[in-house]
Amino acid sequence: MMSELIIESQSLHRSFGSTAVLQGIDLSIQRGMVVGLLGLNGSGKSTLIKCLLGLLRVSAGQARVFGEDPWVLSGAAKARLGYVPQDVKLYPWMTVSQVIGYTAAFYPKWDFALSEKLTSRWDLDRGQRVGPLSPGQLQKLGLILALGHRPDLLILDEPVAALDPVARREFLKSLLEVTQDEQHTVLFSTHITSDLERVASHVALLKEGRLALFEDLDTIKDRVKRLRISTTGPLPHAFSVAGALRTEVTGQTALVAATNVSDRMVNDLRSQWDAEVNVEDLNLEEIFLELHQEPERRLPI
Amino acid sequence: MASVPIQFEIHPSSGVPIFRQIMDQVRAQVASGRLKAGDLLPSVRQMGAELQVNMMTVSKAYSRLEAEGVLERDRGMGMRVRTASPTSASVGDRQQELRELVDHVVTRGLQLGLTDEQVVAVVKMVLKERR
Repeated sequence: MMSELIIESQSLHRSFGSTAVLQGIDLSIQRGMVVGLLGLNGSGKSTLIKCLLGLLRVSAGQARVFGEDPWVLSGAAKARLGYVPQDVKLYPWMTVSQVIGYTAAFYPKWDFALSEKLTSRWDLDRGQRVGPLSPGQLQKLGLILALGHRPDLLILDEPVAALDPVARREFLKSLLEVTQDEQHTVLFSTHITSDLERVASHVALLKEGRLALFEDLDTIKDRVKRLRISTTGPLPHAFSVAGALRTEVTGQTALVAATNVSDRMVNDLRSQWDAEVNVEDLNLEEIFLELHQEPERRLPI
Repeated sequence: MASVPIQFEIHPSSGVPIFRQIMDQVRAQVASGRLKAGDLLPSVRQMGAELQVNMMTVSKAYSRLEAEGVLERDRGMGMRVRTASPTSASVGDRQQELRELVDHVVTRGLQLGLTDEQVVAVVKMVLKERR
């Protein structure tokens, strides 16, 4: 199958005044990928999303969406794109059905059957005015508006932040339905790694303005492990493991989180140091935490 | 013919990739006889919806099981448990697969201060209980 690049960026920079938020992002997202975007608060997730949408202009480098510069995105490309911002803002005096009808009018191929189905599934009152809706209800409505024209690319900025666990599951189910044909591309930022683990094919992790990780989720879980190493003699002060994210050495034991763990590498460690090596699997939250810890700690015995 | 009902337990937040969890459970169910040769597995779509995971994950698990010879593709029907069971692998290969697990057992046994004979005795005891 031809892999079509839906999102592409090269050395993308964005600064606000003297604050450099994005410092060279190289990203390529192919059709069918479901990419979860992770990062601490303030790591630049929303800024990246806005640069890709053309809501912010890049300071240097470039971005491409459907092969076009997002800052001057054509109408045809916009019709293939769905976006839900962190804070959904809609005309408060319109009712739920009026907002849907109003939005639908902008799209030649609006799927009313889908927007009706989602409105019922998410229990939104069609006659209710938008003003008094709760943040969670607004987010659901925002999702309906973003999904209604069956976009090829869906970009969601923390789509589940305001949703309760039941609504979150419903949302994930809808997202899985949308992506099941493997033709749709999704980029969503989130703090809830367990949701991401269900739906994402890839994970992009922003740290200090750069992409610290961009990889297939299964590959990440297969390769990023924590090793508990214990030897009979003391480990040298400079003990290190290739691809280590974090190294903690205390006398005869070492705790190492590394990105490129394989059976062979573990066996090499065993024979090189005459060590006992235990390999721990890490879930995404643990990997995220490992990436944000102090990289080295060496204590005397 | 209807596919067999799904009795899988998936933990998305485990450190083990979901496709590997699916593979392990199919293998285990085949080994225990709960899945029999010729049984039809749920479609990728059904399985994805049931477990609420990305369908690509399910199809990855199925393809790898097919490559391993545990499942076979029945055109237009889906995936079936292979008639010739995976025990067609050589004894050496199967022992190799077991080695890793035994390695943990032996390490733990020695940590507990058991002798070689005492460790082996435990393995024999467990085997005897199975018969």
